[in-house]
Amino acid sequence: MNLKFQNKKISGILTIMPKNEVKFEDGIHNYSFSVAKSMKLKLVMGYNSTRIVEDGVCISDLCTHGLNYLFEKKLLNKDEIDALILVTQSPDYFLPPTSSVIQGNLGLKRDMLAMDINQGCAGFLMGLFQSFQLLEQEEINKVVLLNADVLSRKVSKRDRNSNPLIGDAASVTIVEKSETPNTIYGNIRMDGSGSDVLMIPAGGFRAPSTSETSKMTEDAAGNFRALDHLVMKGDEVFNFVQREVPPLIEDLLIKANQKKEDVDYFMCHQPNKFMLQKLADKLGIPREKMPSNIVENFGNASGVSIPTAITYNLGERLLNDSFNICFAGFGVGLTWASLLMEMSNLRFCEIIEF
Amino acid sequence: MENFKSQIALILEVESVDLNDELESFEFWDSLTVLSIIALASEAYKVEITADDVKKSKTIVGLWDLIKSRM
Repeated sequence: MNLKFQNKKISGILTIMPKNEVKFEDGIHNYSFSVAKSMKLKLVMGYNSTRIVEDGVCISDLCTHGLNYLFEKKLLNKDEIDALILVTQSPDYFLPPTSSVIQGNLGLKRDMLAMDINQGCAGFLMGLFQSFQLLEQEEINKVVLLNADVLSRKVSKRDRNSNPLIGDAASVTIVEKSETPNTIYGNIRMDGSGSDVLMIPAGGFRAPSTSETSKMTEDAAGNFRALDHLVMKGDEVFNFVQREVPPLIEDLLIKANQKKEDVDYFMCHQPNKFMLQKLADKLGIPREKMPSNIVENFGNASGVSIPTAITYNLGERLLNDSFNICFAGFGVGLTWASLLMEMSNLRFCEIIEF
Repeated sequence: MENFKSQIALILEVESVDLNDELESFEFWDSLTVLSIIALASEAYKVEITADDVKKSKTIVGLWDLIKSRM
């Protein structure tokens, strides 16, 4: 489905990273593979170190910390926030919505809208689409989009398939109306028949957590995990990304009447370095135009990986320079979405620690 | 075919492979090798195969037949 938005802009991005750093080598003894094999995996996938929250830290803690930082630095005014959108798959509670918890923590105004959206890898795109739509309202002038996940708490430490790549983080993106007229092109596609490709099987209402669902079992590849843990069909994800994402981006560019060469950067969700490099190759774009360095430095924090790719790779350059950027997110759902927009004159674009 | 054999040998980190070699007998056989083969099939032969397909193909020639059948 093609989407089109008018007169909207991103005016700031902040990434909040946990201080706690875990090295790939430190976890190697947990896996039932030889050290040589695991080191080869590290090399190919670009695994190095991930940022993981300390025990008990929740997404509302990361988000509250980030927003308070913006208030203190006078980069954001509390009373200007007309809507708060939180995209996450690791909420503090089933209910209430974690966006309500954050609104309460910060003492935001009551005359506003706050909501949670359950999305992962394409969560930055889904959040932007929602933000743009809300901004069509006369009384909504500034939307705070939060992407946050602490999925390390749901990954088995003995699962070499997922554990080395998962990171935790949050991001705050300020979305508002643009005084200069512009058109933003987007598109989104979904395939719920692949809803089991990335999932946490137990812990919801379908299969509540019991002593049974916490039992560790070995899979065919030699990884140990329980039904309470995140499970990913790596080969299906790879094929899905190679098959669906190139036509998605190509169709977007056709709609926007632009060429690949017109795009300064392709900021994509980052499952691992390997997959992104293959994606760049398949799209026929230089690998330097599609940064793939987030997993090796921070880990893959689901919907936060695109904002992190922007703050880490462009950072302060976005305060003055202007870039034509294509975003693409793909994964859980299955969901895949892309968006093309000009970014410039941000008030802030940085990473802080929690 | 010869080209395919050398591509597979590279992934398996051996000098050469024989058609009837069993995939699981290689020292470096693991999920990463499987993913590398899936990537090879996608890039060099433009076909889509799954980890399960690779496992079921058992041997080097089995793998070649699998890729050919999807071309």
